[in-house]
Amino acid sequence: MKQLPFLILATVLALWIQPSFAQNINWKTLQPSQKHIVNLNVGFDNASVIGVGYGYHLDTKMPLVLNIEYSMPFGDNRFDDLKTKIGGQLSVIQAGNFFTTLKAYGVIRRYENDLTRMVNFGSEFSATAGVYKQKWFVAGEFGFDKAITTNLKHSELMKEYNPGVQSGWYLPNGGNFIYGLQAGFSFKGNDLYAKIGKTKAQDLETSSMIPWYFQLGWSMKLMKSK
Amino acid sequence: MKKEIIYLAVLLFLAAIFGSCKKEFDPKEEGALVPKTVDFDAALPSISVNGAKLHSEAFGNPVDPMVVFLHGGPGSDYRGGLNVKNLVNNHYYVVFYDQRGSGLSERHPKNSLTLQLMLDDLSAVIQHYRSSPLQKVFLFGHSWGAMLATAYLDKYPNAVNGAVLAEPGGFTDEQVTEYMEKSRKIKLFDEATNDVFYPDQFFTGRANDHAILDYKLALSSANSFATNNEEGIEGPSPFWRYGAAINKRFSEIAKNEGFDFTTNLQHYPTKVLFLYSTNNRAYGQPHANKLASAFSNVQVAEVKDTGHEMIYFRWNNVYALVLPYLDSLR
Repeated sequence: MKQLPFLILATVLALWIQPSFAQNINWKTLQPSQKHIVNLNVGFDNASVIGVGYGYHLDTKMPLVLNIEYSMPFGDNRFDDLKTKIGGQLSVIQAGNFFTTLKAYGVIRRYENDLTRMVNFGSEFSATAGVYKQKWFVAGEFGFDKAITTNLKHSELMKEYNPGVQSGWYLPNGGNFIYGLQAGFSFKGNDLYAKIGKTKAQDLETSSMIPWYFQLGWSMKLMKSK
Repeated sequence: MKKEIIYLAVLLFLAAIFGSCKKEFDPKEEGALVPKTVDFDAALPSISVNGAKLHSEAFGNPVDPMVVFLHGGPGSDYRGGLNVKNLVNNHYYVVFYDQRGSGLSERHPKNSLTLQLMLDDLSAVIQHYRSSPLQKVFLFGHSWGAMLATAYLDKYPNAVNGAVLAEPGGFTDEQVTEYMEKSRKIKLFDEATNDVFYPDQFFTGRANDHAILDYKLALSSANSFATNNEEGIEGPSPFWRYGAAINKRFSEIAKNEGFDFTTNLQHYPTKVLFLYSTNNRAYGQPHANKLASAFSNVQVAEVKDTGHEMIYFRWNNVYALVLPYLDSLR
């Protein structure tokens, strides 16, 4: 596969830079002793979704959190559609109450309906910048969600309608820019946050059917057990 | 050291997955995700009219009264309407074509598509197949096709000798919006709704990346036959290929410019047969009567035991209403 080096590089970046995940953190209140962060969220991300996440706060000079996240759309078939992200977020600039964070993920997503099953490997890179205080934070975010390659397996129904349809790996798949705002309240090791924004396809001409994303989330920071 | 081992294991795992791929496909490639259109597959039956190459075929004796079938969408194809071919047995010459930018017909840039072009295409198709000026011509439209037939009657009231309209969504943008709000309700926590939106993150395509966009539209079509769908659709019905650009273009026209196909309909003197189905909860007799009132001479009839895809699933019930109507005008 000609694109193998690129895929490996993207995965290395996602894992090595240990960049991001959708879980929002108030860096101002994140203490070195708070090692574990758990997250619950609901919202709209190309479907109405519910998600959970876990973050591990590393002992590094620059604040760095490794993340894993799982989300799935609502619906009768609970595990036919899903998205997982593995990566992390790194607070690269801190000036008073102003923080800039870089995030990166490796993304795996799955979709299935009566006609096809799709498994996609992708990446997501984003940056957030904003004001983070003890009780609240507000920030803007900009990122790019790249759907690198997708494996399709068509159903018997699809093959009946289109006998020539090809199952296998498809490349390239395109991607979507994301941009929006996020804000939250912090109290006793908890962050309650909301984020809202728009998506735009990489050609900057077309959009998703619903070109918006929205998320309400709760992150709880836990001390390292002694 | 422990970290490096984990990274190496992940890399080896990914290398094993991707390295095992024998071949990858380009989603833009014609014939990979969707069937080739007539301009890429010379074996398909086609006609070239009005500057477009259309997937088209005709059945029966060319001198018999002509029935031109107009499929739904915009952007669907005539595969689900092939039961209409049975009218050949009653001595009708039945003509099918995939509308411009739809089904297996040639694709065109999205912004070049207009309603007038679609009407001109229909005139050209009739002219192509008509064997004499005296040959009678009937339109048989389903869903969007019934809307297109109505737009044609509105614009050219003397051009055809009758029309069967099977559940047109509406004759104005307000009527269509009203119907769509009932028939395709967005239920945010519903499997079928989420199945329509979720693929947007897997593939994106430019406005004229037809293969990708047509494939995505095909995936979303599975929503139409979801369990307990409002339109009473019994299950999947066959299709060749959807046309996303024409579908999107006409949505934009309806939203930005609006439309009204009823401005001249009262001047169409011939009786029109207007069909609605029992099981389409979003339609019903009130909506049928409301739309049918735009005609001065109309017969409203219910097709029993079926829903919006009545021609595919209950052809015999449709046929029992359509044949007497056509015979009365032949």
